Amino acid sequence: MSDTETNEKLMQVLEASEARRVERRAFLRSGSSAAFAAAGTGLLAGCFGGDDNNNNTPPPPPPPTTTVPPPPPPATGGITDGDILNFALNLEYLEAQFYAIAATGSYLPESLLGGTGTRGQVSGGRQVTFTDPLVAAYAREIAVDERQHVAFLRGAIGATAVAQPAIDISASATGAFSAAARAAGLIGAGQAFDPYANDENFLLGAYIFEDVGVTAYKGAAPLLTSKVFLEAAAGILAAEAYHAGLVRTVLYGKGIAAPALVDATEKISDARDSLDSPSDKDQGVRMRGDQSNIVPADSSGLAFSRSAGDVLNIVYLTAAAAQQGGFFPSGVNGTIRSSTAD
Amino acid sequence: MTEGSTLIDVMENRAKRREERRGFFKIAAAGIAAAPVVLTMGGKPLNAQTAVTDADILNFALNLEYLEAQFYYFAFFGTGLPQSSLTGTGTQGNVIGGRKVNFTDPVVSQYAAEIAADERAHVDFLRGALGASAVAQPTIDISSDPNGSFSTAARAAGLIGAGQSFDPYANDENFLLGAFIFEDVGVTAYKGASPLITSKVFLEAAAGILAVEAYHAALVRTTLYRKGIQTPALITATERISDARDSLDGTADKDQGIANRDNASNIAPLDANGLAYSRSAGEVLNIVYLTSMARNQGGFFPNGVNGTIRTSAAN
Repeated sequence: MSDTETNEKLMQVLEASEARRVERRAFLRSGSSAAFAAAGTGLLAGCFGGDDNNNNTPPPPPPPTTTVPPPPPPATGGITDGDILNFALNLEYLEAQFYAIAATGSYLPESLLGGTGTRGQVSGGRQVTFTDPLVAAYAREIAVDERQHVAFLRGAIGATAVAQPAIDISASATGAFSAAARAAGLIGAGQAFDPYANDENFLLGAYIFEDVGVTAYKGAAPLLTSKVFLEAAAGILAAEAYHAGLVRTVLYGKGIAAPALVDATEKISDARDSLDSPSDKDQGVRMRGDQSNIVPADSSGLAFSRSAGDVLNIVYLTAAAAQQGGFFPSGVNGTIRSSTAD
Repeated sequence: MTEGSTLIDVMENRAKRREERRGFFKIAAAGIAAAPVVLTMGGKPLNAQTAVTDADILNFALNLEYLEAQFYYFAFFGTGLPQSSLTGTGTQGNVIGGRKVNFTDPVVSQYAAEIAADERAHVDFLRGALGASAVAQPTIDISSDPNGSFSTAARAAGLIGAGQSFDPYANDENFLLGAFIFEDVGVTAYKGASPLITSKVFLEAAAGILAVEAYHAALVRTTLYRKGIQTPALITATERISDARDSLDGTADKDQGIANRDNASNIAPLDANGLAYSRSAGEVLNIVYLTSMARNQGGFFPNGVNGTIRTSAAN
């Protein structure tokens, strides 16, 4: 590639990046997702149409935003990239709402929540009064990242993006966090686990989600047919692993003075393992020999994978085949919605 | 290439990059229609991409894993990987430099032990996956010599002056900065390679390594961030190393230190969509060869990497 060609290519990338920022600002100001969604759907449809072998070819230009984009083709004996990205979008809604309310005291804006399927409400959640300013800074960072994932996936999926389903992030004794903490043996019958009570509880609440996101994106990676979406999903996978690494490192550090935190990560890990399948796909942060265990990895040094059904076992908090439960009291939206019977 | 010309390249390129980016942003104000191209931010394609096989890509990754594994192995154990993990096709080389760190903070020592084990597991996993076609370890420079790769990298980042050395084995903080030089690069390398892998099995494995590199990177960045409260120079150093990497690998900004952004920490280096960055193999080689030019060797790999993917990009 000549210098001129190289510069041309880089210029395109930079232009796209800057244009995206401009457009996103406009999008957020207007509160209307129409133009953004239409362009995204054009791209998705183009990828479904699918010459995936030549990834030197830029995506097709977006259709005029006044044109109603064609819907993605229906699944023919298998799941589509749109199904997979919508499944991921449900998980991102959950994470983004948890961090948004914990870090800022506000939920995501309405403009980021509409779509296909049944639009639900968030129950529970409140701003954490952080003691450690570093933990507060971490919470704000992750909140921004997760909100960006929601916006990115909605834009990429376009008009077929699912709406936010009903989400339970309450601290009630009958809520999902308490049920998860009870399954892990952190609290007894009738007691409540409040992830908004203090820094440590917030970190454990975050811990419940983050490694699951990593395994979900890794498990989905080989199922995506579009190379464009694959690379984007790899980008989100990396972001989730950065978050998980952050949360685990902080819990490990605080666990020196408060060993109960380290015990709690092992118990939550065991609870996740008991829900998702017989194989061991989860690890807490407790030392192995003279090593920390910030990275949950197999003996080859690889992160674990979970199928969509395994992931739903965890967020529905059930080892059975179910359509709803736990953090999603009415189930997730989209075609991938059943947990696995383990 | 002489060290002097490398540094000149870096400085010239850094200035050029800023100038170009200013120009780009002016042009871009009218470029809204290009927005969906965001999904192609995978960086430049590999040279001769059509001829690149999965084995070529995994062997490229194996070279990087040799480098990381040897650095962490020496830092924690004081020795390198066993010979049985180093053989293969191409020219086998030695490790120059490297020694045990006398850690002060036991937690940092535990982190070093963990990462050393993970990186060795990556070497062994990739060698097993590649079988007889696995490349041998090339010559690797992880010395703290003033003319060595770490010192050159630190000098390019403005952390040390001419003739000075940067010793990543001197103490906890220097070790963490040495680790910082590598970890985010591994993440971007695996992400950039992911759409080029044809086998679904290798793809999922590569995604597993990518995740682990991101966990490592987060560990290192979170630890530097916390220590940076008492020692702000550490945070400044991450920004400078990030800038140096950016000046080597092309004009696009694909790197971030850990200084606060908008009242939030910056443990995860991500774009405006919350996605990690991608680097092409050529861009990764720019960084580990410590040159912004098209080269077959330099920096941490004085004789180049082994395998078919071995040339850095001309930026």
